[in-house]
Amino acid sequence: MSTICNDLQKLNSILDSFIVQKTIPALATMLGEPVLHFLKNTQEIPIVNLDVIISNLEEMNAMSAVYVKCDGDLHMGALLYLPENKSKMLASQLLGRSISDELEILTTSSISEIGNILTASIINAISLDTGYKICSSVPGYAVEFFRTLLEAVVSDFGHESDTLIVSHVEFYGVTSNISICMLLIQNPSEVKKFMM
Amino acid sequence: MKRVIDIKMGGLEIIADKDCELKTFVGSCVAICLFDLVSHVASMAHVMLPQKSDGLQSIVKKDIGKYADEALSYMIKGMIQKGADPKRIKAKMAGGAAIFAHESETSLFNVGQRNIVYLKQILKENGIPLVSEDTGENFGRWVIFNLQSGILTITSNLKKFERTI
Repeated sequence: MSTICNDLQKLNSILDSFIVQKTIPALATMLGEPVLHFLKNTQEIPIVNLDVIISNLEEMNAMSAVYVKCDGDLHMGALLYLPENKSKMLASQLLGRSISDELEILTTSSISEIGNILTASIINAISLDTGYKICSSVPGYAVEFFRTLLEAVVSDFGHESDTLIVSHVEFYGVTSNISICMLLIQNPSEVKKFMM
Repeated sequence: MKRVIDIKMGGLEIIADKDCELKTFVGSCVAICLFDLVSHVASMAHVMLPQKSDGLQSIVKKDIGKYADEALSYMIKGMIQKGADPKRIKAKMAGGAAIFAHESETSLFNVGQRNIVYLKQILKENGIPLVSEDTGENFGRWVIFNLQSGILTITSNLKKFERTI
């Protein structure tokens, strides 16, 4: 492990403050309801051991997911996901209308947009705090099991290091009970950039 | 009862026991399997990326399968050490999917395709025939290689299929 525990704790609280500042208001506005969040942890995980973050629940349900990659002064990947059967409910809430099967594209677009906005809110908070210039990719959308999503993100991200820093956030809509998960993924070399 | 060896992300295993099976899960990564069915030696790597950029040899054996170039070289040497004849070594592979796509339906992160192309190139350079493959598309696959039969079984939980190659 290349990143000391103390740095990970600091990173966890820094990310938490960014989420409180920008991401929660953005999501609450989109959903039209109060939103709670829970930043579970930030940990350094060897790529060969990434199975540890796959829960049984995530193995059983196909997920709707969005991946956004951020580059520039800071490199970060954001994977947003929720069970596929909940994604239509979320899309309906966002659009204020029910979505028929023929309009599946609306679900894809609205989930992609949520991933885009939530990631942008975090990088906006990071930029304001640090002055870093960060660009985000177009959101990539997929419906797959979590294991596949994680593997795709890690192979896209794991060029430099044999370990990755993974922060796991959950968002809850207080009224709708909708739950959205997000993984923020960084190379260990990026952590120090938050401490400057 | 077969003993199943689970290969993690970036991992690699070499076996010389007919009662063993090699198993991994791949999305955009590629499971490359080399085998010599006469001497009963096989190897599988979970390849994540085409090439190692720093040119340094991996010290930690756990992720020796991460880069295609490093993995292939390690697999061939290790199999020969366990009695495989390089002239008899054949290959099968699966994976290399494009999992994420954006709304224009073009591939956003094309590492899967790059892995496939690069692996085929190295196999050719090493004179190893690729006898079958189940690659591309947009879903994850469980991959199991049976050394006794030489069959690679591929299953998808999402698409609910099982095929053998």
